Amino acid sequence: MKENVTSTMVFILLLFLNIRLLNGESPPGKPIISKCRSPEKETFTCWWKPGTNGGLPTNYTLTYYKEGENIIYECPDYNTSGPNSCYFNKKYTNLWTIYVIRVNATNNMGSNASDPRFVDVAYIVEPNPPQNISLEVKQPEDRKPYLWIKWFPPALVDITSGWLILQYEVRLKPENAAEWEVHFAGQQTHFKILSLYPGQKYFVQARCKPDHGFWSKWSPVTSIEIPSDINMSDTTMWIFVAILSAVICLVMVWAVALKSYSMMTCIFPPVPGPKIKGFDSHLLERGKTEELLGAFGCQDFPPTSDSEDLLVEFLEVDDSEDQQLMPAFSKEYPGQPVKSRRLDLDNDSGHGSCDSPSFLSEKCEGPWANPPTFHTPEVIKKLENLEANITCTWDPQTKSTKDKILYFHANGFRSSTWPLPQPTQHNPRSPYHSIAEVCKLAEDPRAALATVLHKASKDALKSSKTTETGEEKKAVEQMEVESFTSKTGQDTAWMLPQENASFISAKPLDYVEIHKVNKDGALSLTPKQKESIDQTEKPRTLEIIKEYAKVARVMENNILVLMPDPRAQNIALFEESAKAAPLSFQQNQAEKDMACFPTTPSNFRLQQDRLDYLDPASFMHSFHG
Amino acid sequence: MDSKRQAGSLLLLLLMSNLLLCKNVASEPICPNRSGCQVSLRELFDRAIILSHYIHSLSSEIFQEFDAQYSQGPGFFTQAISMCHTASISTPAGKEQAQQIQQKDFVILVIHLLGSWTKPLSHLITEARRLPKAPDALIAKATEIQEQNQRLLEGLKKIGKLVDPEIIDNGNYAVWLGLPSLQSNDLQSLLFAYHNLFRCLRRDTHKVDNYLKFLKCQIAYDGSC
Repeated sequence: MKENVTSTMVFILLLFLNIRLLNGESPPGKPIISKCRSPEKETFTCWWKPGTNGGLPTNYTLTYYKEGENIIYECPDYNTSGPNSCYFNKKYTNLWTIYVIRVNATNNMGSNASDPRFVDVAYIVEPNPPQNISLEVKQPEDRKPYLWIKWFPPALVDITSGWLILQYEVRLKPENAAEWEVHFAGQQTHFKILSLYPGQKYFVQARCKPDHGFWSKWSPVTSIEIPSDINMSDTTMWIFVAILSAVICLVMVWAVALKSYSMMTCIFPPVPGPKIKGFDSHLLERGKTEELLGAFGCQDFPPTSDSEDLLVEFLEVDDSEDQQLMPAFSKEYPGQPVKSRRLDLDNDSGHGSCDSPSFLSEKCEGPWANPPTFHTPEVIKKLENLEANITCTWDPQTKSTKDKILYFHANGFRSSTWPLPQPTQHNPRSPYHSIAEVCKLAEDPRAALATVLHKASKDALKSSKTTETGEEKKAVEQMEVESFTSKTGQDTAWMLPQENASFISAKPLDYVEIHKVNKDGALSLTPKQKESIDQTEKPRTLEIIKEYAKVARVMENNILVLMPDPRAQNIALFEESAKAAPLSFQQNQAEKDMACFPTTPSNFRLQQDRLDYLDPASFMHSFHG
Repeated sequence: MDSKRQAGSLLLLLLMSNLLLCKNVASEPICPNRSGCQVSLRELFDRAIILSHYIHSLSSEIFQEFDAQYSQGPGFFTQAISMCHTASISTPAGKEQAQQIQQKDFVILVIHLLGSWTKPLSHLITEARRLPKAPDALIAKATEIQEQNQRLLEGLKKIGKLVDPEIIDNGNYAVWLGLPSLQSNDLQSLLFAYHNLFRCLRRDTHKVDNYLKFLKCQIAYDGSC
């Protein structure tokens, strides 16, 4: 019986419990305080989340105590902030004080308390969003249109007292855009948006934040339609800019076109290439020297011995103090080298600046109105052809103190007349003439030499005429060694080739002493000793014959005293004179011109037996060495 | 007759006292005579606010970094809360209370609050090397706070002179006695001491910042910013 009662009791008890459990009643679950916030740093609210209520009506109470106090208070206001909240008004809010808050859930079954939450109101400030956002599209004159956004601070915040400082942020996006465009607005309550797409609908939102606190939520969206007809770009300004730049471009193009040539020449000055008139590079490639030299006007190089026409006329060196050198012509000595001499031209017959072989100045043309009946023109023309084509390092144009030697190639001139220097028409090309002359002489002794169209030479001829022995057929080929003083400043080595013309048969030439250089720049030579001179067919006028003559000394006034070279007796005189002149030149400051002799001397085929020093190789060496 | 005389003299007395009282209660105008005073007050306040805002930002950083670095569990530091040494300085806890305080008294209050931290900060800088986990960044920030504090103090004294030429700073700063706790050998009590110190520093710098921003509007802009 007892056992029955006990078991029944137990059974009933269990049933009771089961029934209660089946009913779902239990003590409440633990509430959780979710959030405590102060909207204006003057009040605050705490919200909690209830746990399970255990199936029974549960009562929630919030209790708190403040830092440093032992009194427990209960929430003064459960309603203002909604369900499951506790609102602390200004009276109950103390900043910079820690509140320890707990929520108790109580039901018939029991109670449950949340974990304590430590709250310092000063650090939980989160304002409400800004309110009354207004949007307006403004289009001021002469300026770009923009979107003007204006708002007001949240209702509860007291801005004017300075107790709470707010900072704002706005964001906007076109209707179909994916991302917002966010702008920080600082403490101002307006904002200007300049980048807009016309015809679009824009959404705008704003939010705010205290100086030390949390951002508010975004305000509700306000929208605005941007009118399609607004003018977003300053088209008038850009049109003006475009027109102005087009005009400027046109003006510049026109100016460039006008002066294109001069500009091009200014920027890219034409580089003169080496060119020899009449020079056909193709001929050179083919290797036909005869044709090549024919282009130069040189003929029949090497000169043949049986050139009766090509009688080298030698200059007769007069040993008078007048320093008049007379070309001595001798038919017996074809190909004798022409002695270079300096003509002392006291006669002023227009020497002056026209002494310079490179007669570029027109003023020299006057006196040369009447060219002598000389064949020089032809030769000279050919010489002219050689102008720029001679690979000559010598610059005929160079001014200043370069002494030039005019070499007269006396190759048996036949002409009865003195070769007179052509008038100035050739003078400007005198530097080249010498080259041509050399060429001519080298190639064709008969072709002889054109006279250097030189005033000085003319005078020399004149003077030589006077002193001439009166030989017939004297084509005075003046080897004029001209030393140009600095005042003329021009250097040329002159040759006076005379084409088919009178060759001056020169008498045996003597050693020449360079007596003096007169004011006109002519070097006067005086024969030092008489020697037999072999006449070479070719004038080796251009040879800087350092090897064959020796300069004894240089006297003052640029007088070169030459010593005969025993080895080169034949043309020693010539050589020396020729050499003397260059040497004197060199002594007298000429450096280049000697090296400037044309390459044609290389073509000289001087006969070895007589003119060992006229070996072209030596020419080459002397010229190019 | 006597009662009438008594009443009359009493009335006169009341009147006089009323006048005096009224004069006392009414706030004296700031910057009465000098013309550039108002402008310079605004500039001084602007500069002071920049400094106080910066100081509080640094203090917040120190507090959060210390908690993150040295906490040994959630809620570890909740037990560390104890009273700040500046609690003796009564400070307004809300806007209404702040509006009750005289402006010049308010300035003195702020100066006292700031000045009470000079010594604790210097001790903190020297003692913080005892902390275990390389507190160099912490010490650097504390040093910076110390510097800026001094500058702010000087600015506040100038503001005080403008607000009240006869201002008297009696140097009544709060005394800090927490040095032994910073030298504790027990790690937990050491950490608690530092935590409390940083908490109080954060609070007081927040107070100063708040008060100065409030005072700027009250003093330099006549109550409406």
